[in-house]
Amino acid sequence: MLGTMSSHSHAFARLGLLTALAAIVGICLPCRANKVATALAPRVMPASIELDGAGDEHGLLASWVTGADCTRAVKWISSDPTVVSVGDDGRVRAVSGGRTLVWAVDSNGTSNRVEVAVRATTGPVEPSFRREIEPVLTRLGCNQGACHGKQAGQNGFRLSLRGYAPELDHRWITEELSGRRINPADPESSLMVTKPLGRVPHEGLVRFDEGSRYHRTLSAWIAARAPGPKTVAEEADPVALEVLPGDRAYRVGEKQGLLTRVHWPDGRKQDVTWLTQFVSNDETIAKVTQDGQVTVERQGETAIRAHFLGLVAVVRVTVPQSDPVEDWRFGKPQNAIDAAVFAKLAALRIPPSPRCDDATFLRRAMLDTLGTLPTTIEVETFLEDRSPDKRSRLVDSLLVRREFADYWTLQLADLLQNRRERDHDVRGVKGVRSFHSWLHGRLTAGVGWDRIARDVLTAKGDIFENPAVGYFVTLVGEKAPPESEVTDSVAQAFLGTRIGCARCHNHPLERYTQDDFHQFSAFFSQMHLDRKEPDKGATQLVLKSKERVERHRRFEEVADKLGVAQAAFLSASGDAAAQARKELSERRQEHARLKRELEELDGRSPRTQQPRTRQMVEARALDRKAVVWKAGEDPRIQLADWITSTNNPLFAESMVNRLWKHFLGVGMVEPVDDLRASNPPSNPELMSVLAKEFRASGHDLRQVIRMILNSRTYQLSSASMKGNATDRRFFSHYQARRLPAEVLADAVAAVTGVAERFDGQPVGVRAIQLSEPQTGSYFLSLFGRSDRVTACACERKGEVTLPQLLHLQNGAETMRRLADSDGFIRRLARPKRELSEAVGELYLVALGRRPSRDELEPVLASLDGVPREDGLRDLAWALLNSKEFNFNH
Amino acid sequence: MLNISFGRQWQQCGGVTRRDFLRIGSLAPIGMSLSSLFAAEKLAATTAAAPSSARRARAKSVILVFLGGGISHHDTFDPKPDAIEEIRGKYSTIPTTVSGLRISEKLPRMAHRMHHFALVRSGTHENDHHETASNWVLSGRFGSPFGDHPSMGAVVAHETGFAGRMPPYVVVPKNPAFTWELGKASWLGGRFESFSAGNPNEKEWRVRDLSRPPGVSDETLARRKALLASVDRLGGRIHGNDQLDTHDEFARKASELVLSPNAREAFSVEQESASARDAYGRSEFGQSCLLARRLVEAGVRFVTVNYGGWDHHAKIFEGLDKKLPEFDAGLAALVTDLHNRGMLSDTLLLVMGEFGRTPKVNKDAGRDHWGRAGSLLFAGAGVRGGQVIGTTDKEGAFVTDRPVRPADVSWTVFESLGIDPKKILLTPEGRPVEILDQGGLIEELYV
Repeated sequence: MLGTMSSHSHAFARLGLLTALAAIVGICLPCRANKVATALAPRVMPASIELDGAGDEHGLLASWVTGADCTRAVKWISSDPTVVSVGDDGRVRAVSGGRTLVWAVDSNGTSNRVEVAVRATTGPVEPSFRREIEPVLTRLGCNQGACHGKQAGQNGFRLSLRGYAPELDHRWITEELSGRRINPADPESSLMVTKPLGRVPHEGLVRFDEGSRYHRTLSAWIAARAPGPKTVAEEADPVALEVLPGDRAYRVGEKQGLLTRVHWPDGRKQDVTWLTQFVSNDETIAKVTQDGQVTVERQGETAIRAHFLGLVAVVRVTVPQSDPVEDWRFGKPQNAIDAAVFAKLAALRIPPSPRCDDATFLRRAMLDTLGTLPTTIEVETFLEDRSPDKRSRLVDSLLVRREFADYWTLQLADLLQNRRERDHDVRGVKGVRSFHSWLHGRLTAGVGWDRIARDVLTAKGDIFENPAVGYFVTLVGEKAPPESEVTDSVAQAFLGTRIGCARCHNHPLERYTQDDFHQFSAFFSQMHLDRKEPDKGATQLVLKSKERVERHRRFEEVADKLGVAQAAFLSASGDAAAQARKELSERRQEHARLKRELEELDGRSPRTQQPRTRQMVEARALDRKAVVWKAGEDPRIQLADWITSTNNPLFAESMVNRLWKHFLGVGMVEPVDDLRASNPPSNPELMSVLAKEFRASGHDLRQVIRMILNSRTYQLSSASMKGNATDRRFFSHYQARRLPAEVLADAVAAVTGVAERFDGQPVGVRAIQLSEPQTGSYFLSLFGRSDRVTACACERKGEVTLPQLLHLQNGAETMRRLADSDGFIRRLARPKRELSEAVGELYLVALGRRPSRDELEPVLASLDGVPREDGLRDLAWALLNSKEFNFNH
Repeated sequence: MLNISFGRQWQQCGGVTRRDFLRIGSLAPIGMSLSSLFAAEKLAATTAAAPSSARRARAKSVILVFLGGGISHHDTFDPKPDAIEEIRGKYSTIPTTVSGLRISEKLPRMAHRMHHFALVRSGTHENDHHETASNWVLSGRFGSPFGDHPSMGAVVAHETGFAGRMPPYVVVPKNPAFTWELGKASWLGGRFESFSAGNPNEKEWRVRDLSRPPGVSDETLARRKALLASVDRLGGRIHGNDQLDTHDEFARKASELVLSPNAREAFSVEQESASARDAYGRSEFGQSCLLARRLVEAGVRFVTVNYGGWDHHAKIFEGLDKKLPEFDAGLAALVTDLHNRGMLSDTLLLVMGEFGRTPKVNKDAGRDHWGRAGSLLFAGAGVRGGQVIGTTDKEGAFVTDRPVRPADVSWTVFESLGIDPKKILLTPEGRPVEILDQGGLIEELYV
């Protein structure tokens, strides 16, 4: 006992050893504080707490060494009940100012303690509108979209959605309905109290109990004459939110209480569990009550989100399967990807499938990297190669092929929405094509993604001198840039994050506020499209707002007039001279005034109006840091600096997440372009490994792709096994998926030996090379190519539909190509070869492998006695309809 | 086993969510296969379903005539003859078979059939954006312009499945679209998307890929099937992959559809007599209505006749002079045909656009988007015809009586088909979502 106590901190010593000792001994604890017992003692969180005056509360959590929650199983003891009391649930209540300890003691008498300090205060503190009243209204659901938070309000009472506008809320609560909502003279008669208590009829039913902390807080606030929101200067925003006990593993059926603490700029940490909204990202894995009680339902992994005052924090709930995975199943990790993936699989006890065979790897890697099927020769060469490093040599060779640039231009063109503008595109088809070839050139040259992003984001001039201007031409269209889709699209494409919600109200799941959105959009406020129809010249993107263009024009006019006045003055004489002098003086003054105004305007930082507050807000990135502006500088340069900065995790993470989804079928974060704190990656270590590699390589797409392709994770078989069939999130096996529209179209062309002709394109242009999403093709539309209307990755559709299958079975065009006199089947049917050899070649072309003996037999039996060409055509039909052909697997 | 907490589902923000979000989800379950998911869903259905729906289950099928772009209610079913000319518009009114009810003079055939219809003049919502409003009225749930919620047809497909060989949800000629496709299955996924029939008024029209290609004999077909069975072995090695399972399911459905004479016939409007085809009007809309009737006869549960082009921002009367006669002919023929064949008793016919149009004719002689008021028509499946429900003010601007909201319309459709609108469906990520989060039956239809 004493041994334990001697290690107590300085703070404890100041309490007076005797008091503490008396308190502890006084309740007769068995003194068995040997080393082992201490190690097994319940763990207590947090290690120390501060309370703000009498009446303040703070929760505590206790857990066994296994991590399991034992908050309600231990006995809680306050060393000094005159300072704090503590309930059976670990809830500490301040009685008076001072310092003391609170102990958690288990049935064996082993214990651990928490240091408690209570600040002495004089008199009651009035509740803060922003820090307490708004959070109460949010926590209780009053201001949610289905209730008073909807635009029209509910039964005459309106609140801003989840409290994004405290100043409006305060006005609506206090000024409307002639003050019946609040009555400082008799708080208990206020509608703000009687309604949620259910004392009077309330459609939203009872929201809190009599005497609850919500009730007490609202009453106290009303009694204090309902003070309004203080400014941020008076009452700083919180800096962080933490959720205890943090990430951990659980068993099915386990329960855990959560505790949230907000960190204020002054260092104080306050328990706000009672004001926090808890949401489970997957309620079928773990449920959470409004009070933060988690119940684990089944195996898997999910996150519980905690929301308070625009902050969001998550805890990860990991529920492993029952049987551990034998080590040998993981094989040899090839790089850091495997280490991260296998660690997660081991933790969740999900076994990985074995490594895929060579033929499967070749087809898979070529389809994913080049969008192209391997040829017969490529398959045979690869299969014959006996060297142990042939897979990594293949990877290197793929990355330098022309098809790599073709296929990745298609990916980036989707991302950068290279399409003809909706109504009329001043660029015309030419502009779409030039942007496409610009991207192709960058990818061929191996230019880093940061450089490409910067060039696109800062593009100006016309499409002839700079095709990348097309990005803004399409997105801005005929709108003022801050009102166009530019802001949303840039955030989604380059940062993989969606801020569009915050255009109208604060983001419901992220910290982004309406101010954040409009500050971000202000970066584009100085862009101006000087639009011209294609036959009238090139549209120019200039860095002058409409207002500035207009003012400059007027200044020129005044300058001209000044010149005229000067000349008049010089040539004038007599009475006219006086008149001319007066005129000249006026012109000079006007000129000087306009010049000053213009300089002021030119030097002004980029800004735009926040529509709700009507304030002009200056451009700021999503980190909210103030930007130092140089006069006349293109604000987008600062934006590009921030976006591509290696300090900005979103830039690298969003791209590696896209790459990961492209190659593994499922992103670490899904949807792939919805990165936010409340939607954490399924494997954060993997995310960090890939992002680090990407940054270290100078944002080289090829380098990350190389790393992915060389990992054992990528090379795992698509075949499922016991224990991993339903895993889609942790990469225990390759996710078989339908080929993308363009790749499938090209694959059909390869098997039939007849290419699809696309309108306005030379013969031989492959589907993956098309620049325009509007190029007419029933096939490509049917199989879900991207229309590029938004920046959302979901525009490309990978689903399987009934009309697709009808088309595969009956599509007249495919049938014609199978019968084409110059087609592959006709050539294959030439009677020089054995039928089995022809069948083998068809397998090679369509599936990238030879048929096994037991596959060949029934095929040959079916073709027996059938005219050779007919039979091979039927086989080709069967292959084109097979899942093995339609899917990358 | 399914514990669903109501009322605390945070909605994704408008404008960003697309199907992909829900299709894969942020943290898809690892321990739950698709089949167990469906099993859970069935359980949820049996525990959550309110049996009250059964009493209204009178419709076997629904035909939705969707007037995309937003038909003007002033110039059709809610004329304001006493208003000033800028509001009244160009058309006078005519009496109908319902005493006291007058409609636009441009709808003489409909005027003779209004006793079949319940006219709802009080359709209302707060959105004036084509995509957002269309997805709202087509699903009954408000969401982003991109369609966060499955459209009614997709829900019906999900709830009823294939009716024999026929796909449950067919659209003629194709889904509504202003810039992108609307009325989609959203998170329900590809297998519940509508089946597009194409334009039956085109010469040599045939549903794409629905018939066996020329020159393929029964023998060839049998051989191909046998070959496919020996070739395709991938599915045997991979379990728990929904895409692969969907491929197999649709491969089977597709070949059944092609082999089925009933299915082929259902799509053959050319089997109708010339006079029957003429009665509907030889227009895309007329022939689409005719095809809709044939499809319902063949067992399709939800047919959308998508008839767009009502977005008359300018020169509205020139536009309507052209469109209304063809609308009048097609719709009147459809209701008559359904009635004469005895199909009206178990077919619900619903006619609506995504919104009405502004009361005041604008400077371009057009009317603009107006979500606050619009007219809808219901007929069949127990709906009492010959009545008017709801009113608008004297300018046709605001609803003054019995507002009918998109959720009410969808509710009525679902309940009419015997689908519980409050049924909980699970998204692929396991998130429980009610079919409708609000709304109620338009009781007056059945009084």
